[in-house]
Amino acid sequence: MYEEPYRWVEAVGNRRQYLDEQFKQGSPVAAVAYEHGILLLSVSRGTPKLYEIYDRLALGGMGHPADLEKLRFNLLEMAHVEGFNRSPSDVTGSRMIKYGIAPVIKQAFEEVFKAPFIVKIVLAELGQKAGKDSFLTINYDGTFEEGTRCAVLAASKSVEQEMMTYLRQQSTDGLSLEQAVGVALRTWALGDRSQCRAGEETAAGSQEAAGKPAATDPASLYAHLRVTVAEKTIECAVLDRNQPGSSKYRAFTPAELGRLLPKDINALI
Amino acid sequence: MGMQGDFYQLLKEQGYTIGSSGEIGNGHEVTNATTILAFKYRDGVLVAGDRRATAGNMVMYDRTDKVLEIDRHSVMAIAGVPATAYEMARILEHSFKYYRRTQLQDLSFEGKLRALSKLLKENVAAALAGTGAVAPIFAGYDAEQGTAKIYFYDILGAEFEGVEYAVSGSGSPTIRGILHYLNTWGEQPLGAMPEEQAVIQALRLLTSAAEFDSATGGVNRDANLYPVIKLIMREGIRTIPDSQLKQKFEASVCRGT
Repeated sequence: MYEEPYRWVEAVGNRRQYLDEQFKQGSPVAAVAYEHGILLLSVSRGTPKLYEIYDRLALGGMGHPADLEKLRFNLLEMAHVEGFNRSPSDVTGSRMIKYGIAPVIKQAFEEVFKAPFIVKIVLAELGQKAGKDSFLTINYDGTFEEGTRCAVLAASKSVEQEMMTYLRQQSTDGLSLEQAVGVALRTWALGDRSQCRAGEETAAGSQEAAGKPAATDPASLYAHLRVTVAEKTIECAVLDRNQPGSSKYRAFTPAELGRLLPKDINALI
Repeated sequence: MGMQGDFYQLLKEQGYTIGSSGEIGNGHEVTNATTILAFKYRDGVLVAGDRRATAGNMVMYDRTDKVLEIDRHSVMAIAGVPATAYEMARILEHSFKYYRRTQLQDLSFEGKLRALSKLLKENVAAALAGTGAVAPIFAGYDAEQGTAKIYFYDILGAEFEGVEYAVSGSGSPTIRGILHYLNTWGEQPLGAMPEEQAVIQALRLLTSAAEFDSATGGVNRDANLYPVIKLIMREGIRTIPDSQLKQKFEASVCRGT
């Protein structure tokens, strides 16, 4: 029944709807450059969302854990075989995404008889020098975007845009680690709150609030965090340029993270 | 197979084989022209190696690094055919990282030992043909047992624990006796030695090896060439900088000028 072109376009459209629905409950991810490298942050309900891929590559993901695992293994295999056969500096995020997993994700998305990957991925790559970092995001349909200072994942494009605007505004050059944690956490809260509101609006069928700019002052964002983070874990990892050895990835333990959280939020959580 | 976190298996699936098998049986004499040593001192394990690489009776290179950091807590010191040894070190480095990143936990110390043993076993054909024999020392911090350990291997892949010390390479017979003597009748056993003393002993041992073995470089003060000495402790690995080696060598190793 999909032989006709129109049917195929319709099927792919349905698939988009289905996938958008899947991400509505997902937890956003924020990644931002700070003075010593890159910081990634998310809030998870048990299954981790942030991973080490290679010496200078870190991954943040949204979506189905099993799909994320599959793509994570793809990336790990690719990166390590390439790093061994050539050299670690030939393992770049852009090659991994563009020639590695983007075609795989796109194919799965368009083969309407098979299941698509329910994932959105951000791959952060630590440059040799500050300012040379790169951020790649890839959507469930295989489209990717490249950025240089920050990146986010969220349920919908509009929420992502909202988060990006806020993150760009707040992230000046040379953020300290503590500042970066604060900015990333507030960006996450902003994204999560918008996702929740979008969900409520569709449920209530009202469109009133749409178009109205949301409050972005720290107090209201922290208020949202207090409600949502209670039974979840804040997950935070960095690619730290000053880390000794070749692997630059480091995930923070809850105790370490506790010391880094902004003071006004620490008391709340 | 990726789910097992086995990097070497992954390489083999991609058509990789270690060593060139050569013709078994018409082997040349197996030479391990070097000296590497490791012993336990008060705070952990000291691993040291000279820096000479030879081909027959020619000195090929005098700045070789034979004491290689595989990860933050393990060191492989190599004696034997450098091409194969460096290749093994590279495989191990990637294997440990790959395991940690896929399985989200570190490979156990025993697992690391087995990984090297497996590589040596796969390399037996090349080792016997004389083109790829490697007899390394592997030392590292065993987080489960809370202690640093030393293991040494024969070219076939058998692993042995060096409870107090281990040596390998052509210069090793000379210093094996000295280590035994020091540990049994010295002022204090090796295991009680503070860092300062341990580093001086390592310099003396390598200088002795160089005295009797032409393939061991020892110390070359004119060229400002010192051995590589690394310390393995719970906190990680530390390399003794050349400036300290120079100072210790001049104060406690060379006699007169």
